[in-house]
Amino acid sequence: MTSIEIGLWVSGGLLVLVLLGMRVAFAAGTAGLVGLIWIFWEKKDYAWDEFSWALGVAVKTAGQVPHSKIASQELSLIPVFILIGYMAYYAGLTKALFDAAKKWLGWLPGGMAVSTVFATAGFSAVSGASVATSAVFARIAIPEMLKLGYDKRFAAGVVAAGGTLASLIPPSAILVIYAIIVEQDVGKLLLAGFIPGVFSAVVYGGLIVGLALTMPKFGPPIRGFTWGERLRSLGPAFPIFFVVLIIISFIYNPFGDPLGTPTEGGALGAALIFAMALIKGMSWSQLKDALLETAKLATMIFTIIWGVLIYVRFLGFANLPRAFSDWIQGLEQSPMVTLIMILLAYAVLGMFMDAIGMLLLTLPVVYPAVMALNGGDLVSAADSTFGMSGPMCAIWFGILVVKMAEFCLITPPIGLNCFVVAGVRPELSVQDVFRGVTPFFVADALTIAGLVAFPGIVLWLPSLA
Amino acid sequence: EEWNVSVWGKRRAFTEHVEKLAELVSEKTDGEFTMNISYGGLSKNTENLDGISIGAFEMAQFCAGYHEDKNPTITVLELPFLGVRNLEEEVAVSHMIYDHPAVQEDLARWNAKLLMTSPMPQYNIVGTGDPRSTVEDFEGMRVRATGGLGEAFRAVGAVPTSVPSNEAYNAMDSNVVDTVAFAQHAHLSFRTIDQATWWTANLNPGTVNCPIVVNMDAYEGLSDEHREALDSSVDEAIEYYVDNYQNNVLKQWDQILEEKNVTKVEFSEEELQKFREATQGIADQWIEEKSAQGIPAQELYDMVKAKLAEMHGM
Amino acid sequence: MAGSAAVLEDGSALSRLERALYRLEQVFGVISGLAVLALMLLAVFSVGGRHFFNAPLPGYVDWIQLAMPLIAFLGISYAQRDGGHIRMDILIGRLHGRPLWAAEFLTTLATLLLIALLIWGSWAHFGRSFDWDAPNWSRDSTIDIGLPIWPAKIIVPIAFGVMAARLVLQLWGYVRALVHGGDRPIGVPLMKSAAELAAEEAEHVSGLDR
Ligand code: NA
Ligand code: NA
Repeated sequence: MTSIEIGLWVSGGLLVLVLLGMRVAFAAGTAGLVGLIWIFWEKKDYAWDEFSWALGVAVKTAGQVPHSKIASQELSLIPVFILIGYMAYYAGLTKALFDAAKKWLGWLPGGMAVSTVFATAGFSAVSGASVATSAVFARIAIPEMLKLGYDKRFAAGVVAAGGTLASLIPPSAILVIYAIIVEQDVGKLLLAGFIPGVFSAVVYGGLIVGLALTMPKFGPPIRGFTWGERLRSLGPAFPIFFVVLIIISFIYNPFGDPLGTPTEGGALGAALIFAMALIKGMSWSQLKDALLETAKLATMIFTIIWGVLIYVRFLGFANLPRAFSDWIQGLEQSPMVTLIMILLAYAVLGMFMDAIGMLLLTLPVVYPAVMALNGGDLVSAADSTFGMSGPMCAIWFGILVVKMAEFCLITPPIGLNCFVVAGVRPELSVQDVFRGVTPFFVADALTIAGLVAFPGIVLWLPSLA
Repeated sequence: EEWNVSVWGKRRAFTEHVEKLAELVSEKTDGEFTMNISYGGLSKNTENLDGISIGAFEMAQFCAGYHEDKNPTITVLELPFLGVRNLEEEVAVSHMIYDHPAVQEDLARWNAKLLMTSPMPQYNIVGTGDPRSTVEDFEGMRVRATGGLGEAFRAVGAVPTSVPSNEAYNAMDSNVVDTVAFAQHAHLSFRTIDQATWWTANLNPGTVNCPIVVNMDAYEGLSDEHREALDSSVDEAIEYYVDNYQNNVLKQWDQILEEKNVTKVEFSEEELQKFREATQGIADQWIEEKSAQGIPAQELYDMVKAKLAEMHGM
Repeated sequence: MAGSAAVLEDGSALSRLERALYRLEQVFGVISGLAVLALMLLAVFSVGGRHFFNAPLPGYVDWIQLAMPLIAFLGISYAQRDGGHIRMDILIGRLHGRPLWAAEFLTTLATLLLIALLIWGSWAHFGRSFDWDAPNWSRDSTIDIGLPIWPAKIIVPIAFGVMAARLVLQLWGYVRALVHGGDRPIGVPLMKSAAELAAEEAEHVSGLDR
């Protein structure tokens, strides 16, 4: 059996384990370990007395992965980006943002839902994790929408979809993961997410207004706020803008003066919000709560990362990525069609995998193929297939893929955001949330089409830096 | 016979000898002995010795400075201001040190046998602002340099800062650092040269040493014919590497310096001597520390200095 | 996120052991969280040191590398206790009673096997970086300021050891569930538990009304 065949068998086995309900991280780790044993034993022609050798080598190879892959500076952005979100909640920023959004946008048809979308967008600027954002807004926005008579499923859908904005608008844990896998500049990628994130929010908002106008009893607009009340509502939300300024400054360095790296910018923003939360009287038990929640979410993400990377290590030995890249380049169709097919494949894959697992699992194989389609890592815009230079293509594809991955956070069966919203709200089942989020599939499909057709939405900001 | 070879990054000047070696060995054995070179698929670069020790792959590249404690003997080649001037000299001193029994014993702890080096040019620095051409000018200079090289710059009053290599460009752009120390190919690929206004042509502060090793059991398990094919290809592979580096990377480097009008800073012999004196303490400390571990450190250091003196006709 | 409410308790030996382990897991979880906090402060010192004193924190990256395993691994068992590691429950979510516990038993057993082998593998990884006779017992060091790496590497088999203990208890819980049947076994994470979630929710929302 060739190593590529072994690779395909083991990948099929992984799918079965995931379907059987094994935790994704451990299913991937198990598949990777079994694959490694298989590959090494195959090398010795399956001789019985060599099995223990193959087992030992495979176990030690897999045993390296957790520590060696996790002990990296860039990955340290992830827990910091998560912590910043929890701290913002305890600093009262979530409520302040929601309040401000309500006063400014509540008069629109479907006003409370539109406000929720833009409050999550604002919160996304301090939160690095979609899941955390959904969790936080499930707590404050859903009850308010229910009070106004919104359908509980739709209210949950708004929050689950709104949470996905956190992964496009910087800071973003998943963009960091992408940058690490493909070895591109973290700062530029974070910057590139900004406009597509805002664009997504506008599309969501438009969709809600449209639904509110066509459906009776959707949820009333909330009117009657004075301009004074509106202006005053900005005050408590102001620190968000300050933190955004810090993070963007460290990413962008617009003053040409020494500031620092994105890593430090994220940490500094977190520290500021931490100080604010302390001033607001965060108690030790609340701090402990925030730390535990951060630790739990970070651990969950890191566990998937190392579990999947054991599997990826096996793929490396099976040489599957190279085989795939050759295959993609050998296709006799237009590269744009191939690219769109890849994006569609992500949509399908996302039904079975969570966002981070999916990116980790596929990018080592897919990214080189896409870059090759465009004409190589260092191709100039003029010579390229998609009309953009190599580094710009890396950014563009990154944003597309992350948007796809975010899309998958709200697709069944393992759309994490929906699970989280259902987890936080006792009155909602996962099925309720999945039903409520359905209209947002359409919005996301439109957004992705827009980003594919007009790469400038993605590339304008990073091209300035 | 198929060997897995673990290197990292992308195919580049730094890995051309491995590619050449694979090609030569396959030719000589009529395709019976092949090498499957993996760029990062089999291991993380700092874990390649671990992989060799486990037996996960048969050949690997690593850099001594990534993990001094894994290979204390080889770091003699990374001491500052040894006086290496070019790639040929780097190859000569490296292979001499690799042949020393104490070094082989050191690597045997990893079940590794040293095959050849990956000669790197000296880590001369590129900088922004006014060129610095004396020891005094280095006072307070923020330089991106890691490990032993960082220590060397600290010894002359500079402030070494640890920025990951892929953040070096941004760090320069945002004045987090004033200067960056890399080999030329890295200045090109991490685009630090795009920020630079000057380059130290002859400071030659030191470099990293990156050997290619093979798993001992795998090496000994080769048939005589295959082992002969491997051994006999090393010199040609190295020669190919050096030619390629000089004719491609260094030529491109010179062109870019000219195009961008980058000032070449040449230090006078007196200034260089001051650098050597200021950093001698680092070598002394290295010798003291490693001797305490039972390594013939003084002998290794003296061998390198003697070999270089010989090659410089002194 | 469901917090700790999803595991039922009683006075049995399994439940008492389970709660004892949970206390250890909570301590590990808090350490993991404090490490995140430390990471944040480290960056503040690094930026501050560079801008105000022209003295960047030496080995900033090295310290981060040593801190990361604290964050990434210590909480693994804490997350497992509450069923916090994500999975796809499209099929398993339709099962009830004994078939469900049998399926849970099998995937938990496979996880235990994986973790047991990874304890071996990660212990070997630690072992290669540790040497009784070397200075600082170190045979592997960080790139910039040469810190020994073994303290970070040993965290992995330790955390996995606690994880293995947790998995053994969960297997025990599933066996009991298989024997007794029913939908509310003790000592294992339950997929839904609305009452407890509601209680916790109330606690969180009251935290907001400051
Ligand atoms: Na964000
Ligand atoms: Na629920």
